[in-house]
Amino acid sequence: MAAEQAEVVLRLAKAARRYGNKAALDRVDLELTEGAVYALIGRNGAGKSTLAKAAIGALALDEGSVRVLGADPSRDRNVRREIGIAPQEIALYPHLTVSENLDVFAALAGVSRAERPSAVARAMDATVCAERAGERLDHLSSGWRRRANLAAAIVHRPRLLVLDEPTEGLDAETRLVLRSLIDGLRRDRTAVLLISHNAEDVAILADRLGILEAGRLVVEGRPGELMAQAFGDRTELVVRLSAASPSADPILAARGLTPSDRGSCWSGMVVDAVAQAHEIEVALRRVDVELRELTVHTPGLDALIGWATGSVEA
Amino acid sequence: MILVMLRVMALSLWRDRAGLVLVFVLPPLVFIVFASVFSAGATGRLDIRAGVVDLTDSADSRRLLYSLQQRLSGRLTRLPDIAALEDAIASGRADAGLVLRDDLAATPTPATVLIHPGRRAAGEVLTAQVNVAAGQDLPDLMLRREVAVLDPILALTPEQVRRATKSPFGLDSPPPFAAQRILPGGDPLVIYYAGAVSILFLMFTAMQGAMSLIDERRAGLRLRLGLSTGGVAPLLGGRMLWLTALGVIQALVLFQVAAVIYGVPVLTNLPAWSATAVCAAAASAGIALALAAACNTREQAQPVSTFVFLILAAIGGSMAPRFLMPEALQTLGWFTPHTWVIEAYQTVLWRGLVNATVLEAWTVLASFAGAGFLAALWFEGRRRL
Repeated sequence: MAAEQAEVVLRLAKAARRYGNKAALDRVDLELTEGAVYALIGRNGAGKSTLAKAAIGALALDEGSVRVLGADPSRDRNVRREIGIAPQEIALYPHLTVSENLDVFAALAGVSRAERPSAVARAMDATVCAERAGERLDHLSSGWRRRANLAAAIVHRPRLLVLDEPTEGLDAETRLVLRSLIDGLRRDRTAVLLISHNAEDVAILADRLGILEAGRLVVEGRPGELMAQAFGDRTELVVRLSAASPSADPILAARGLTPSDRGSCWSGMVVDAVAQAHEIEVALRRVDVELRELTVHTPGLDALIGWATGSVEA
Repeated sequence: MILVMLRVMALSLWRDRAGLVLVFVLPPLVFIVFASVFSAGATGRLDIRAGVVDLTDSADSRRLLYSLQQRLSGRLTRLPDIAALEDAIASGRADAGLVLRDDLAATPTPATVLIHPGRRAAGEVLTAQVNVAAGQDLPDLMLRREVAVLDPILALTPEQVRRATKSPFGLDSPPPFAAQRILPGGDPLVIYYAGAVSILFLMFTAMQGAMSLIDERRAGLRLRLGLSTGGVAPLLGGRMLWLTALGVIQALVLFQVAAVIYGVPVLTNLPAWSATAVCAAAASAGIALALAAACNTREQAQPVSTFVFLILAAIGGSMAPRFLMPEALQTLGWFTPHTWVIEAYQTVLWRGLVNATVLEAWTVLASFAGAGFLAALWFEGRRRL
């Protein structure tokens, strides 16, 4: 028996939007199916939030189209109730309690009065914030506000959920809540568009990863495959000197590292980083250059963005 | 959806205690200050502080000063000499001064009023009070002055002089010029300022509420609200209704204070007052929503709205009575909601009428409300998120 084909929930086709001479979105094609988590990363100003706004129909496109469940969300009011968004800011009313806020957004999304109490309770359970249901938002810590912000995005059980930096400034416990929530949504076949800078979240949660640069979707694929493609067996080596020194420059440059911080910090992707680190330490000692710190990193999202956008040599 | 937004805004204000105080306590306080200042002028009670030097210390001068003391509510201070009086005026301890130099009955100009150039009105008030005191409380003195003037001309005999000064004429005769009140009771300036302060604060209160639009944009709420199934119109409609209701409650509190303290007849004219209050609140809400929707940030909206509202208030008559303004400004006032609100309240509460002027005022205010709301819809509809 042929496997059931997943329904496309979000489709952007050649989506383009300019602000003056700057392309905020440059003919972006993107497809997100039910139950899938698509992580979108990129530098500040790359167009991530613009894409999120376009995806929910809050932004008029200059070219191309956006379809959510086959309909244009900027025109079709019925399809809007299938969308939930948790913006990076705490998009809730500060003088209202958590449950009052959720009730408001459930009502605005068209949940009937009879169904609202159970919808609110379900959203609070999913985000583990029921114990603060009766507290005003402006009396809560940032972690609890984030949970409430997420709860408001899912209170009406959307089929497309857009999360803009949902783990920004969160403690470890709340991150786990978010991961558990997204796992649950995936099981419920909700499509999730996740905008995040957190490498761990992306690695654990995302089925697919897209990198935006200057409004263009420059790379797209599975996170693990992209990391392997970009870095292979190489890891990131960072060398920090007490002070920049001309004697150190040839030693570090010869190993493919590039300088920053006026020559006091060098970094780059290298094979067998531990051995290289030892050699660098010995060589710098010979020329009397004081080493402040030498670290080996698994490449993160910033490195991947750098690779994808060509600023780091692969 | 409109009801949802009404509930959100009502709960938000209810839980903002400082906001409640500003909305409901501040306007009546300002009204009381304005009414106290201006209604004193309307009732003839102008409380000036005067200093006096009595160089004659006669029976007539003591009677005159006693009368004056009553009329100035005890604000008349005796000073030893003219230098001390001038010093008191210069230093601000007295607004004006009176010097009684010679026999009040026999000298052409026995008294001098000293006037500070910066407080000329106080000097005029003191001069008038001296004349009134002499005319009403010392008519015999005034008669003796007349006889003293006529005596050299008519060569009166001592007996004629005695009979003339003892004559009841002048003591019992009616004043040559009488004032008569021709319009209904109540203090028109108190009603004027109840309306003027009411519309002034309605504008500022509505603007504070309307700026939640800007806060919602900044907090990302606008994105979430944009997903509501009803679109922008019900979201703005809910705000419009809330701001109108809030404005009516604010006006009710202010006018109740006016009714209790100054006897403004609100209850006897309740239907027409209510209609005026609703139109005034709706006009303020519409204008405030349009301004908030047009501005990108609070930093823009705050100065722009303050500038617009203060200009409208100044031209419209919320700060100084319109009848004191030049003709051109009075005409310009008809382009502001303030003038229409003040005119409607005055006609309804003072004259007790619902006439063509009131109906016209309601129509104009409703038009301000409608135009403001449509402008807000237009701005919000084309706004880039």
